[in-house]
Amino acid sequence: MTGRIVINLLQVIVVMAFSPLVKGVLSRLEAMVQSKRGPCIFQPYRDIWKLLHKEEVVSEQTSWIFRITPYVVFITPIFVTLLIPVLTNYPLFFAFMGDMLGGGFILALGGFFATIAAIDTGNPYGPMGASRTRMVGFLAEPVFMIVFFTVSLVAGSTIPYIVQEAWITPLSNFFEPSHVLVMLAFFMLIIAEAGRLPVDNPSGHFELAMIDESKLLEYSGRGAALMKWGGAMKFFVLLCIFLNVLVSPWGLAAGTGLPEVFMAIPLVLVKIFVFILFMVIIESSLAKLRLFRIPEFLGAAFITSIAAMIMYIF
Amino acid sequence: MGLLFILIIPLAAAALSLVSADRRFAPAITIAGALAVLVLALKTAFTVIKAGEIIAIADWVSCNSLSALILLLVAFVSLTAAVFSWGYIEVHTGPDNVKKIQRYYIRFNLFVFSMLAVVLFSQVALVWVAVELTTLMSVFLVSFDNTRQALEAAWKYVVLTCMGAAFALLGILLLYWAMKGAGGKTFTWEELTAVSQGINPKILKTAFIFILIGFGTKVGLVPMHTWLPDAHSQAPSPVCALLSGVETTTILYVILRLLPILNVSPSIHASEWFLVSGLVSVGAAAFLLIQVKDYKRLFAFSTVEHMGIIMVAVGLGGSAAHLGATYQILSHAITKSLCFFAAGTTLLIVGTREISSVRGLIRTSPIAGGAFLIGGLAIAGAPPFAVFLSEFAILRAGIAGGHYIAITLLGIFILMAFAAVMFHVNRMVFGKPPEDMVKVALPKTAIISLTMALVPVIVLGLYIPDSLYKLLRLAAASLGR
Amino acid sequence: MTVSSLTQLNALTGGLFLLSTFGIIAMRQILGCLKMFVLQSIFLAISALLLGYLHQSIHLFAVAAITLLVKPTLIPYLLQRTVGNEVTARREISQLINIPTSLLVAVGLTIVSYFVATPLLSAAGGTTAGVNLPIGIACLLLGAYTVTVRREALPQIIGILTMENGAFFAGISIAPDLPLIAELSAAFDVLVIALVMGILTRKIHERMGSTTVSDLKTLKEV
Repeated sequence: MTGRIVINLLQVIVVMAFSPLVKGVLSRLEAMVQSKRGPCIFQPYRDIWKLLHKEEVVSEQTSWIFRITPYVVFITPIFVTLLIPVLTNYPLFFAFMGDMLGGGFILALGGFFATIAAIDTGNPYGPMGASRTRMVGFLAEPVFMIVFFTVSLVAGSTIPYIVQEAWITPLSNFFEPSHVLVMLAFFMLIIAEAGRLPVDNPSGHFELAMIDESKLLEYSGRGAALMKWGGAMKFFVLLCIFLNVLVSPWGLAAGTGLPEVFMAIPLVLVKIFVFILFMVIIESSLAKLRLFRIPEFLGAAFITSIAAMIMYIF
Repeated sequence: MGLLFILIIPLAAAALSLVSADRRFAPAITIAGALAVLVLALKTAFTVIKAGEIIAIADWVSCNSLSALILLLVAFVSLTAAVFSWGYIEVHTGPDNVKKIQRYYIRFNLFVFSMLAVVLFSQVALVWVAVELTTLMSVFLVSFDNTRQALEAAWKYVVLTCMGAAFALLGILLLYWAMKGAGGKTFTWEELTAVSQGINPKILKTAFIFILIGFGTKVGLVPMHTWLPDAHSQAPSPVCALLSGVETTTILYVILRLLPILNVSPSIHASEWFLVSGLVSVGAAAFLLIQVKDYKRLFAFSTVEHMGIIMVAVGLGGSAAHLGATYQILSHAITKSLCFFAAGTTLLIVGTREISSVRGLIRTSPIAGGAFLIGGLAIAGAPPFAVFLSEFAILRAGIAGGHYIAITLLGIFILMAFAAVMFHVNRMVFGKPPEDMVKVALPKTAIISLTMALVPVIVLGLYIPDSLYKLLRLAAASLGR
Repeated sequence: MTVSSLTQLNALTGGLFLLSTFGIIAMRQILGCLKMFVLQSIFLAISALLLGYLHQSIHLFAVAAITLLVKPTLIPYLLQRTVGNEVTARREISQLINIPTSLLVAVGLTIVSYFVATPLLSAAGGTTAGVNLPIGIACLLLGAYTVTVRREALPQIIGILTMENGAFFAGISIAPDLPLIAELSAAFDVLVIALVMGILTRKIHERMGSTTVSDLKTLKEV
């Protein structure tokens, strides 16, 4: 019992500790693919450390929402971490609290707060970014739903641990068309959710071209650090769901022993890095879309997920 | 062996058309080929009447009574069309454009070949290929004028009929599936009929609907008919005669060959499908005929109407109605080709397709005007021409079979179409010709071909030779009950 | 390999085949459409190979070979030769209904095709046709839809070729032992379609200066 609690907490620590690294590797790889040198992979750590030691400036015009939002954005991925398989392929102590749908809603809560906080500031760029995020969000929502429904239909459950079990027993289930299509749809979703493919350049500094980043413009000091960190963790959590539940449910610890669990950490990280490399190559080789093309991109994801559903039902 | 020669001759004529650079060579060889095909077709028909089905290559090439009828029609119309083409195409392209004349005759022969192949192949998958070839080989004949309108017509033609062909392909593959399920071995019409008792009606019905939609597009059944008036009016007139007179019938033949297989299981409601789609076509065509502005389109819509009548006749069921259907196939093919020859001659004289700018045709040119009048009367169904008799036979069979509603509708539509056709023809043929009408000398071949086409239209209205009647009876019998 | 995993792989190919058909509807540029068509044809060939191995049928291997020869290679080449630069022109295809709506319609058509196919499958009691038949019908309908909404010549040609692909995709499962001559002539037929329509497109381009065939609407009553 205590073992399970410990592993569960270890999961949280892993997510907190390695998510900035994933961000760092991602931007480094991106720079390398575009034949630039790029920042050091530990740069996000330094950014967060620096921001944590700076004074925070909060506009007088803002309400309490603006102040609590960094904490909400920071906490929600941690909650989700408690529910999903990050290191182990069996449910841990807190996993009973919610299924994948619940996890999705908790993540959405963070997004919701970030949006209203951006509107709260009165800075013109904030609401613009927020409304764009919402546009992507409300188009992505149905895809999320269909993906989850398909997944839960196949496994007969919405608990991620049961789902990952169902995909690989027997192994030929892995090549089930609905599974491949669900993976594809979810991949497109991650790209869109993480603000990677459609229009956004997350590393850019031009406010008009931003989607997600412009919501952070008004934050400084500790608030900015928490927002950045929370965003990195959200990305990490999404990758964990995608990789550990849907794509490659291998390399996770099967036993309860601590050494085995520790062994899973590098394996999971390797999986994530390989996936990131893959994603960066795809992202860099495709042209950025214009803003009003996002519906088409997500429409394609929606079609893919529907096709997965149809192929499973009939 | 005769059947194989029928298939080989047009191909050989197409190849030979390339040989000589003389502008008379290609048309001459085409006419010779068509004549040879007609002789062989007559011989085939007589053999079929006497001895029943001919099998040239087992499971691949054969000819039953219905195929023999269509074969005869294709051969006859292609002969008259080839004769008509000689002068028409020369006037049309200018006598020096030998390359273009050659290209025309190559395509003409290939087109005739594809139609003959549809009728003679007994392997159903190959029949589909042949049907598709009838489209592909006639596309450039439709776009022969290379005007904007002709290209438009050709594009609509090829897109819609190829879409139809894809639907039909799926239908035919489903048919194969159904046949295999019933224990059939080879995919021929005979085998299909033989195992029809065991065929799963659900699959058969789906296959039938796909084929009806697919090939119905080519036949010109409403609402898939939209390409037909365009293509059948823009092509050169001898090609129109082939397209309207026999190509539609040839494709309809494929649907008709399914009838005995469909009739085995009553749950398919095949006759209702035939009846309804036929009535819709006749009705829509009757209304469209009233408001045409172009006399070639007038005859094209009349093709839609006649295809509908044949479908209704088949749907009525019973040997009398089936006999009416085969008779209608015959009378429509010979009459419609005459109509388009008359329209082609008129076009040569007046140089326009508009009905409103043609007046007093019979005074400008008694030959064209006379042919146009006779063609119009005959196709509209006036006595004593063949179409009148066949339509009358169908109506009578329908009343005898107790299909009062369908027959009432059909009668009204036929009368409407009759009034519409006669109204337009009347305006064109009679009245005072425009002052500035230039006299154009008609090519001799056009007159010969008009006479050739005129003979059966007049004769078959008054008297049907015994052997032909037997062939019609046999063809009707092959449609089943 | 076992039967079940082969069936599974075939189902996967079917799914990808369906996706590439959606791709033809979703693509904005002609070249993209053509690439999707090539991809689709390759999936068709793969499915034929898998089913051929499953049924131990030489016919299907031949079908796969013919498909690979004709569709992904010869047809793009022919279109390139006949239509010329229109194929590679990097411009958007104009169409009647926008792409997101088209995709929704496409989903609707797919569901319809499953409803058409399911009773047939239960009537015949087949197993391997279970994937190919509905997807083939869906592809047929989606191809017809492409022809209807796209306003230019080349996408319409691709739409028609897609329809044929759909029919063949259903065909390899329900009619695996069709005579080889029929298969060969059907493949030849598809080639002639591409050739004839390509030449016609060029003629239209020469005459009109564009390939937007939906502008061709002079022929009508009144």
